Amino acid sequence: MTDIPLARPERHVPVWAQGLIGQMLALLIALAGGAVIIWLVGESPLHVYEVLLRGALGSAENVAGSLLQATPIIVCGVAACVALRGGLFNIGVEGQLYVGGFAAAWVGFTLNLPAGLHVVVGLGAGMLAGALWIILPAIMRARFNANEVVSTILMNYVAVLLTSYLTIAVFKRPGGWSETAPIAQTAYLPQLMDGSRVNLGLIIGLALALGLYLFLRYTGAGYAVSTMGSNPKFAAYGGVRVKRNIVAVLMTSGAIGGLAGGIETLGVHRRFMEGFAPGFGFDGVIAALLANGNPLGVVVAALFFGALRKGSLLMEVETGASREIITVIQALIILCVSAQILIRRRGGISGEKRWKF
Amino acid sequence: MAADIAADFAIEMIGITKRFGPLTANRDVSFAVRKGEIHALVGENGAGKTTLMNVLFGMHLPDSGQIKVNGAQVEITSPQVAIGLGLGMVHQHFKLVPSLTVAENIFLGMEIVRGGLIDSASQVAAVRALSASSGLAVDPTRVVRDLSVGSEQRVEILKVLARGARIVILDEPTAVLTPQEGRDLFRTLRGFTDQGMTVILISHHLDEVLEVSDTVTVLRDGAVIGTEPAKGLTEARLAQMMVGRPVDFGRKRRDGTAGAPVLTLTRVHARDDRGLPALMDVSLTVHAGEIVAIAGVDGNGQTELAEVVAGLRAPSYGSMNLNGRDIAGAPADIVRGAGLAHVPADRLVRGVDVQASIMSNILMGRQDSPAFSKGGMIRWGRVRAEAAALIKRFDIRTQGPDAPVKSLSGGNMQKVVLAREFSQGKQFLLIDQPTRGVDIGATEGIHDEIMRRRAEGVAILLISVQLDECMKLADRLLVMFQGCLVAELDPKTVTVNEIGLHMMGASHNRKASA
Amino acid sequence: MEILTQVFTISLIAAILRTTAPILLVALGGAFTTKAGIFNIGLEGQMLMGAFFGVLGSMWTGSALGGLVFGVTASVLMAVIFSVFVVTLRANEVVVGLALNIMAGGLTISLTKAIFGVRGSIVNPAIVGMPRIHVPLIHDIRPLGQILSGYTPLVYTAFALVFLVWVILFRTRLGLYIRVTGEKPEAAQSLGIRTARMQHIASLICGVLAGAAGVHLSLGYIVMFAENMSSGRGFMAVAVLIFSGGDPVKVLLGCLLFGFADAASLRLQTMGVSSYLVLMVPFVVSVSALFLLSWRQRPKIIRETLQHLTAPVVAKGQGS
Repeated sequence: MTDIPLARPERHVPVWAQGLIGQMLALLIALAGGAVIIWLVGESPLHVYEVLLRGALGSAENVAGSLLQATPIIVCGVAACVALRGGLFNIGVEGQLYVGGFAAAWVGFTLNLPAGLHVVVGLGAGMLAGALWIILPAIMRARFNANEVVSTILMNYVAVLLTSYLTIAVFKRPGGWSETAPIAQTAYLPQLMDGSRVNLGLIIGLALALGLYLFLRYTGAGYAVSTMGSNPKFAAYGGVRVKRNIVAVLMTSGAIGGLAGGIETLGVHRRFMEGFAPGFGFDGVIAALLANGNPLGVVVAALFFGALRKGSLLMEVETGASREIITVIQALIILCVSAQILIRRRGGISGEKRWKF
Repeated sequence: MAADIAADFAIEMIGITKRFGPLTANRDVSFAVRKGEIHALVGENGAGKTTLMNVLFGMHLPDSGQIKVNGAQVEITSPQVAIGLGLGMVHQHFKLVPSLTVAENIFLGMEIVRGGLIDSASQVAAVRALSASSGLAVDPTRVVRDLSVGSEQRVEILKVLARGARIVILDEPTAVLTPQEGRDLFRTLRGFTDQGMTVILISHHLDEVLEVSDTVTVLRDGAVIGTEPAKGLTEARLAQMMVGRPVDFGRKRRDGTAGAPVLTLTRVHARDDRGLPALMDVSLTVHAGEIVAIAGVDGNGQTELAEVVAGLRAPSYGSMNLNGRDIAGAPADIVRGAGLAHVPADRLVRGVDVQASIMSNILMGRQDSPAFSKGGMIRWGRVRAEAAALIKRFDIRTQGPDAPVKSLSGGNMQKVVLAREFSQGKQFLLIDQPTRGVDIGATEGIHDEIMRRRAEGVAILLISVQLDECMKLADRLLVMFQGCLVAELDPKTVTVNEIGLHMMGASHNRKASA
Repeated sequence: MEILTQVFTISLIAAILRTTAPILLVALGGAFTTKAGIFNIGLEGQMLMGAFFGVLGSMWTGSALGGLVFGVTASVLMAVIFSVFVVTLRANEVVVGLALNIMAGGLTISLTKAIFGVRGSIVNPAIVGMPRIHVPLIHDIRPLGQILSGYTPLVYTAFALVFLVWVILFRTRLGLYIRVTGEKPEAAQSLGIRTARMQHIASLICGVLAGAAGVHLSLGYIVMFAENMSSGRGFMAVAVLIFSGGDPVKVLLGCLLFGFADAASLRLQTMGVSSYLVLMVPFVVSVSALFLLSWRQRPKIIRETLQHLTAPVVAKGQGS
């Protein structure tokens, strides 16, 4: 029966709304699952959620803190999103964040440049480092089909260890503990308001997300990338240079991951410290998955995750629960989303199963 | 009386109805097969043949109706139940495991186990015995990956026999065979019925249906049009029953002479994905206003030829010229720029992005052309207008340019591909299996569209495993065998038999031994 | 001097066997899912859960065996969640695996704090480690005893499993069905083999072995639990599985390579090389091996020359 129409008749709910409803449902189920876990570790779920909410949004200060936490997640989310839309997984955003952060800090404490330019060169160095960090996995994926999921994950470990080594063995601040010298004031990423470290990075992240959205929707190159993501053979047949695009997409993704690191070191810590940004890269990947590859959705997901992170700090003070409980909730969200949303992305009637070796 | 007649039937399906959502695939179908006969089930794609057989084989449960096997009413809830009743099905797409041996494949699911381990020696011996008694020659120890298509089919049939089948269903068995191999198969099937077995043959090749079967049942739009003895039926009558109106089977009338060369291949060689030679010394020229057809059994290098011409595979040797530009090893965008339009063989894999909308599919290949983009930005308004116009012109049955391609039927998906590729005014058309999985009515429309392009002076290279299609459309007919072009024939004078000999490499072997 | 170098190499061999064991166990588990056609990136999290609950079980029951049972049970639970999502709900393997890894990390840290009130690691005299087995007779023969005797039971099990897994995969009905499920599921289904069930079974077996590997980490030679103590070994196992295709013998060779990298890097550390650089070695080795082997399996680009054209046939038939 080759001629059966393959889709059911259109329901009257638009596709994006169906997706949104699904996402919300997944969120609710995940929060319920999280409540069970919180109860298991001996805390009251209601109390913990109340503290989380208060910690995230309870005061202007807390909201600013949430935005501060969300900033690198937005940027990392856009990084993961670029790859995802090109049909690729960059699980190595975390590693690119580290090397990018270190490179930017290095520019910050080594070079002498005028204000403004110093920031640009610093962020540029971060992007370059991030792009270079993924260049081998990218080329090996494009030319020899080497699985980029595993290679980028393994590169994460190398990145964390390498930056730690450089920080402690080569560039350690005399008298300091596992951190480099502070960056020059000229390299400070401008802050948006007094009394909070929320900085220009937030604006950069929002602009990147919007830019990616417009790029994918309205440009020929964006069309080529997203077609490659949904059916690479069709794209190749239509004249898209798939191998070149794979390298370009992954390196762009890596550069944005590196930029996230630069924003953190130049905007928040103003030096490179061991373990300066734990998990932001993974949060970004999760945000991109939760948004199903929609750059604007990434912003929403990242803001949510940022708020969770900020809230978890208060939670750890006021309750007995560890702040890592929020990563469990995040994982539950992704599990629920994966069960109902991502199945539509996979396979399809061409039957191609991407993750098989 | 009922019992008396019923005893003569191997299969009776009475009043079968099967719906998929809003679509009725089988409507009150009654179908009976006498013991010891070859019964052909014919109909267009989408007429409901496969659904009916899937119901019989327990892969679908009917919404209503009953089934009797050897006169006894049965409830076939799974293929295992069907196998238990002595039914066996040979699918059109073989379901063999490439890395296993012939014996392992045949015994898969019913292994001989001794002491917890699989007893492969006993399995091999059993296959040898079965092979001898059925006349289907295979080497049980060979790995299936290395077998020819004909041998794979023998393994599939042995699989069915090993499970004790007395009623064998074959779905489009000759689609992958040469006419001669097909005749061998039919002799084997006749041998089965001589032993009292029953054969059901699903086919849309009208000539072979008339040649081999005792009885023919025609399905159309999910309902039975008629069951008649094969004797006394003609192709034209069968076709009319299938389509519901007279069908033109003749060669397309054509006039005009071929123009200047558009595509020239000189001594082109290419390797397949495993690095083995797939194309050898292929030289051909396609002129403006001419259709050159490549005939051959599937898997003799046609895929690689199409990929090489389309810029999707680099040749390992040789030169290629399209509209005066050297395209050997050039990527697809360059070849398209030189004047290629391409209808690929497998539309679901290459021809469309099923997830995307019709208009997004129409855009492919032109996202950077001035007609649809300006300063790198896509002019979606123009794309939508173009898509709407093409939907109208090519009669694509859909809700509109925004509908996802996955909501279309197979025939309409193919029309999306044709609409995109035929409407670009390119001078060279590469058409690979244009009517695979498309019903007869739509096939005619597609053939007319191809002839129109020819009349406009487009150079056309047609690759098809359907001999009738090649003969109907081609000005010149080339036959491909094991990666070589072994013959150039005139479709006006050549016979099917002769083409068949070339497809089997008869001329090739004679030359090699000479 | 000669004796010194000899002892040096012999103890290195012993160290290699010790460090190979956990990654070999988890990779052999992954061989089942790989053969069943599942890309199981969740090995890391399963191992981590095994390590944590191994410690917990060991304390609660007061025996290493109790620890093993607890650890394996926890890991199997993760494997069940994994296969329910991937096989039954048809969710994307990478996404589910990633989520479960993240969950394992968060859950073990949260539980450490909830149960022990500490962050970081659990060190407690109540944790009972694995016993060492002194193989009779061989133990006292000088070089041989050092190489073959004195390991925990899981080390012996890991190496014995190479053969056992090979027999299961290639000589039994279960193994055959798992392989067919991964290679050609439609063929399996048409013959009544329940491919979903095979994938669940493969995932379960994988969970058992990954759990055992985790328990080996926390109760084997170091008797403690530390956050994220699986430290990428699960991912290295995935790398091994990619280039071995799940073939047990190739899995063994790949794992020995990592065991060697691990053991050699520990040696480097005693020689004064920075521990950060030393810890990088196994990751660099595995990612290099992944690249090298995919480069070796690359599609060959072949150019023919005029002299070596394959079987030149000039056959322009006349249509006679």
